[in-house]
Amino acid sequence: MRHVTTVASRELRSLFVSPVAYGVMSLFAVLAGFFFLLSVGWFNTRLIQLQQFQMVEEMQQLNLNDHLLTFFYGDMTTLLLFLVPGITMGLFAAEKANGTQELLMTSPLTIWDIVLGKFLAGGLFVAALVGIAALYPVLLFVYGDPELGRSLTGLLGVMLVGWVYVAIGAFASSLTKSQVVAILISFVLMIVILLLPAVAGLGMVDAAPWVGEFFRYASSMTHFENLVKGVVDTSDLAYFAAVIAIFALMSKAAVESARWR
Amino acid sequence: MIEARSLSKRYGDVVAVDAVDFTVGRGEVVGFLGPNGAGKTTTMRMLTGFLPPSDGTALIAGHDIFGDPLAARRAVGYLPESPPLYPEMTVERYLDYVARIKDVPRAKRREAVARAIERCGLKQVAWRVIGTLSKGFRQRVGLAQAIVHDPPVLILDEPTVGLDPLQIQEIRALIADLASPRQGENQHSVILSTHILAEVEAICRRVIMIHQGHKIVDAPLSELVAGGQTLEQLFAREITRDAGAAEARS
Repeated sequence: MRHVTTVASRELRSLFVSPVAYGVMSLFAVLAGFFFLLSVGWFNTRLIQLQQFQMVEEMQQLNLNDHLLTFFYGDMTTLLLFLVPGITMGLFAAEKANGTQELLMTSPLTIWDIVLGKFLAGGLFVAALVGIAALYPVLLFVYGDPELGRSLTGLLGVMLVGWVYVAIGAFASSLTKSQVVAILISFVLMIVILLLPAVAGLGMVDAAPWVGEFFRYASSMTHFENLVKGVVDTSDLAYFAAVIAIFALMSKAAVESARWR
Repeated sequence: MIEARSLSKRYGDVVAVDAVDFTVGRGEVVGFLGPNGAGKTTTMRMLTGFLPPSDGTALIAGHDIFGDPLAARRAVGYLPESPPLYPEMTVERYLDYVARIKDVPRAKRREAVARAIERCGLKQVAWRVIGTLSKGFRQRVGLAQAIVHDPPVLILDEPTVGLDPLQIQEIRALIADLASPRQGENQHSVILSTHILAEVEAICRRVIMIHQGHKIVDAPLSELVAGGQTLEQLFAREITRDAGAAEARS
């Protein structure tokens, strides 16, 4: 198992000698700041509107969690959707292109050492991105009083969604030798998962309500929204664990399949 | 050290390697010959644990490749046809990484890396990024990677392909040097695949020839060239004879 960290640390080191990691991180920081400003601006406009129309009841309900952070966290998952594949595209594909897959698979490593090492590297990178995103809510605590618990569970939600994207991206990378193909496969898979609730809303699934129910459950957004609301339900956490585990198993099978060709 | 027992590999109906048997003793340097597509690479990939054989098995330093795959892989140093390098890493970091995944104990790692760098003549490029090295140096890094954990078995797949004549000579000298151990090192048993016959004459003492997946020659080099014929003539003759035999069988 100690090989997992060996594989992960090599992966991270290589990410940080290429411009990709820095590019993704700075792009993320800038865009996160932009979306934060946007959310603050929107909150401000809303506040002014409510004051002008003397809507006292609505003003009392207005709060930083529901009317600012919820949007910000949602924007963060969208950013991750676009940026994570840039990090994960090379996880397995580059090993195949370099021919280093042959080195890994003739070393005393198990396939799980390789797969978990790659997942760990991707997961840590996303954790760093979430760390950057967390700086903005901290500003809110300086100037306002959002609820600490809900702010944190929302961040946890962003991280878990990011990890699901890592799992999807890593799996896509394990299927191909080309990083471009890997990025395309990741987008397709992510968009399918993202669109599941929309599919559930279509009339055709009304005939069998459990289908709609299943599609809603299978979408990461459903579970993300619960966390943003401050609800930490084991069924939501189990969902994220299950999705990551499924993609890890499929990646393992894909890596192993090199032996059978 | 290496014992192949009716090693076979089939891809669907195509038989790439057909029940190949051979043994290689401690410290022996064996040339693995055959025309392109004869099954050399497939055989080597089975010995290194990259591909599982369809039939048969092999023992590497006494470890069965099915029974104890991790111990068998630990005993092998392998240089594939294209050296498995990470272009963005420096030579020293790369070798340290390989030493880690080959289970070199932490206390001996630094020493192992230094020894591999020294033996493969990489001292002046140890801190260079691999991607900026010439092809000859990359091949040396590939060799260093194969010996960093001081394995009893070395498997080299066409180590001089694509190099210029001077580099070829250097790499050959290096392989010949690796085959004779220094103090405190394991005696390496080497299997060297190639289709350059001069290479075999320069380094190897024994020849195994395969053609269309089966072994057609397995003899000491001195015996093969005893009749005054060159290895080229022998190679051509054996392959024509085997092709004829194959026709007669079908």
